[in-house]
Amino acid sequence: MNISGILVVVASERVEAMVTQLNQMDGIDVHHIDAATGRIVITQEAETISDEVDGLKRIRALPGIILAEMSYHNFEDDTELLEGIPAELEGEDLDSVKVPGFLNE
Amino acid sequence: MDVTRREFLKTSAAAATATAAGITVPATALAQSQEAEADVQWDKSVCRFCGTGCGIMVGTRDGRIVATKGDPDAPVNKGLNCIKGYFNGKIVYGKDRLTRPLMRMKDGKFDKQGKFQAVSWEQAFDEMEKQFRKTYSEMGPHGVAIFGSGQYTIPEGYVSAKLMKAGFRSNNIDPNARHCMASAVVAFIQTFGIDEPAGNYDDIEHTDAVVTWGANMAECHPILWARVSDRRLTNDNVKLVNLTTMSNQTSDIADTEIIFKPGTDLAIQNYLLREIIRRDAVNQAFVDKHCVFATGPYDIGYGMRATDKFCYDAEKDIQAKELKVTLDKDEAIAQRKKAGEVVEQNNTKKPVKHWLIGFEDFKKAVEPYTLDFVAELSRGDPDEDLESHKAKLKALADLYVDQDRKVTSFWTMGFNQHYRGSWVNEQIYAIHLLLGKQCMPGNGAFSLTGQPSACGTAREVGTFAHRLPADLVVFNPKHRAFSEELWKLPPKTLNPKVGSHITKIMRDLEDGNVKWAWVQVNNPFQATANANHWISAARNMDNFIVVSDPYPTVSAKVADLILPTAMIFEKWGLYGNAERRTQAWRQQVAPPGEAMGDVWQGLEFAKRFKLKDVWGEQPIPGLKAEGFEDGKLPSVLAEAQKMGYSPEDTLYDVLFANAENRKVKWPDNTVSKGHGNHIAEKLGDGWFPEKALFNEYRQFGVGHQHDLAEFDVYYGDKVRGLKWPVVNGKETQWRFNEKYDPYCAKGSGFDFYGKALKALPSGDLDKPTNPEKTSLAGKAKIFFRPYAAPPEKPDNNYDLWLNTGRVLEHWHTGTMTRRVPELHRAVPTAVIFMHPDDASKRGLKRNDVAWLESRRGKIKAVVETQGRNRMPRGYTFIPFFDESVFVNKLCLDVTCPMSKETDFKKAAVKVYKA
Repeated sequence: MNISGILVVVASERVEAMVTQLNQMDGIDVHHIDAATGRIVITQEAETISDEVDGLKRIRALPGIILAEMSYHNFEDDTELLEGIPAELEGEDLDSVKVPGFLNE
Repeated sequence: MDVTRREFLKTSAAAATATAAGITVPATALAQSQEAEADVQWDKSVCRFCGTGCGIMVGTRDGRIVATKGDPDAPVNKGLNCIKGYFNGKIVYGKDRLTRPLMRMKDGKFDKQGKFQAVSWEQAFDEMEKQFRKTYSEMGPHGVAIFGSGQYTIPEGYVSAKLMKAGFRSNNIDPNARHCMASAVVAFIQTFGIDEPAGNYDDIEHTDAVVTWGANMAECHPILWARVSDRRLTNDNVKLVNLTTMSNQTSDIADTEIIFKPGTDLAIQNYLLREIIRRDAVNQAFVDKHCVFATGPYDIGYGMRATDKFCYDAEKDIQAKELKVTLDKDEAIAQRKKAGEVVEQNNTKKPVKHWLIGFEDFKKAVEPYTLDFVAELSRGDPDEDLESHKAKLKALADLYVDQDRKVTSFWTMGFNQHYRGSWVNEQIYAIHLLLGKQCMPGNGAFSLTGQPSACGTAREVGTFAHRLPADLVVFNPKHRAFSEELWKLPPKTLNPKVGSHITKIMRDLEDGNVKWAWVQVNNPFQATANANHWISAARNMDNFIVVSDPYPTVSAKVADLILPTAMIFEKWGLYGNAERRTQAWRQQVAPPGEAMGDVWQGLEFAKRFKLKDVWGEQPIPGLKAEGFEDGKLPSVLAEAQKMGYSPEDTLYDVLFANAENRKVKWPDNTVSKGHGNHIAEKLGDGWFPEKALFNEYRQFGVGHQHDLAEFDVYYGDKVRGLKWPVVNGKETQWRFNEKYDPYCAKGSGFDFYGKALKALPSGDLDKPTNPEKTSLAGKAKIFFRPYAAPPEKPDNNYDLWLNTGRVLEHWHTGTMTRRVPELHRAVPTAVIFMHPDDASKRGLKRNDVAWLESRRGKIKAVVETQGRNRMPRGYTFIPFFDESVFVNKLCLDVTCPMSKETDFKKAAVKVYKA
């Protein structure tokens, strides 16, 4: 489980509508609102990092979003070891580091 | 995680974010969040990535990093992160993290053609030492090299530089920062006599105009761009202008976007200088009191080898320009010569030389750069109306000239990675100095640094082929004497001959002049242009390459020995960012497996060598210096003995764990606050290397305009770094301005007190005519530099421009960021950005796979005709983070001849269906 703290900024007249929309999204909770400056602080829960960022992208796609950025990240429960570089680069004979034959002709 | 804890952690997340955003958080929420995180230890640190140097807080529990957040107390970013910064905590947890030394073996012994096998540290150092001694005894100090880094911590850079220069007496240590900031550094020294920016990031909040020149700040310094955007969005009179060769994300919020042809930045700046004079907008009082005019030779080549012996056939036509250049019609006008004139490149060996000229000569030099000439030459988008381009150039001049408008100019790689990088850097200072718009809040030219510690480590510590700490240089006898005294070395220990810069170390590997090399904190076999040559050299020549890395990279794969290395939060360290802010962090978690920090690796290696191995007479081919016999360094062993050393003393005991440094104890009661230090613990002899060595290093700068505070100060709870010079505990906001800089002479107003290159002969536009030197103490130089054409341009065969650079989500060669799945998925492969017409003319559409071929190599990439970067026709861009799309096989190893920085941004390619 990854928990992010996200800052969302909208025009102040849109704050109420945005709060309603955010509350309806999975894994999102609205915590603090500063209506005068259009700032809304939310949290998001997501299984994996990929889900976290997909969620952020969905928020960013909402109409009227000026800014949506993750600021706080708790991943104590996420012990996923990240994938390394693509498999084709793991072997010994690597095309990407071999000198291409035609250059030695 | 149980529900209650989850709820509490969400409260924490919200509270932290709210605090960062400046929103008041109710006391109950704060109390709850504190309870939730009672078992998480938070400590201040810095982001691992770009030169912005954001502050972050790292949260650990049970020896593991469990959380990070933007540091709300950090003045740089005030609690915000960009997406790379957000994932700082995750970069150390990749599956393929290296945890044991790996060496190429066959039949139980090292074999260059063998397969990698795990070995012990002891075996690794044994072979490293054996190979080092073999090369050192055969070739002396010039046969060994270290590829250093702008991402070294300060202690790391200091250990490597001191070991190399004071121990092995070699100057073959040069950082990847050479590829990043070298042109900026040359211009600082030439113009001001001292390195690094005068201003600081607060310039953003004071300025009335931001001009970005070849800097895609939206992607590459995103937090700074957030501050610029904020300034623009809250002040309608503030203007943003983006000068660029392709439309990018920085253009999105700019008021004006000016697309120009590669290399014509040289001409555009001269147009601006001409306009300033023509409109009578020169700040005469400022210029008369604080500036002089200067110029230098034009026939300085392009930093290539003087021989075509190593060229592939296809490269030879470009290499020939190193010797002779035929001027095209634009160059002829720009340089006051005739079209078709063949100019022998006679000043390739001394390209930095310069002399004073008078204002009338300066005015004459910029006279050809009329709006008509420059607009026609520089228009970069063939589909843009010439009149529109002209209007924009004129508007840019209006902006700079406006007396009531403060202007901040930012640039990064567009200016620095340039065949005349030092010239374009000098020109932007010329513009600001001529207007008197420099060294004041919101008013000045600000060179942005790419890497997190190119300033703090590479430049300030001096991990370069020609440098010593604090702007001292190896070829100045007074500087060497000062260093030898501070380091307690016998006189003449230090080598006066400038070593090989990073591209030259690669060339040296290819021609057998270097046979032992150690790569630290960088990935040069992916990051150096014309890569096919260097990979072949590393694998096929008789040499020994050691790579210290946390992950398997292209460089690790071409190495003979791989050493598993600790990453940022696994060691104590300090970084210095682009605004001269030195920031510190403690070790947060231990490194995995047998991985160890670079400081430990350097110190352990130093234990293997005694003074008698290195301080005897040493051959230095080509050495010519006063007080030295040609071609060699004298033995300093006799003098060493007089100083109390024994020839049996190890470099570890002499250079590092000496009596003075051993007084700085580990365990430490002052700043460690319970944090571990795996290096001090493994060394086991009770001293605190990072602290002792930092406090030793800072003595170079104290009283010499480079003052750093003592180690402990940076670890203060309330401290978020300090901008040097730190004098009497106070940091310096704007240098050279008497109001802010304690080093300025009283009553000077502005004092350009940098000492280097401040006595010059004088002459005319073509040559010095009076050898008598005039002192320029306290003054800055306004340079005239002409337009010169790029050495490789699209032609009938290779008919498109190729530019390379970064994208937001990936740092450099992606060795860290590609391990974060979402950063990887956001931009999984490098694509080639092309104009849709260019693609369709070649039978290509979006998402097709194409071959990209230059004179130097061939790779495949996916075509992109939309997205974040929009190309003008005739121009392409590809980022360099992807090993499987190995861009540097195509790039040209032309450099600025003065800075030796590679021009990664101007090659000619052809693109066709795969």
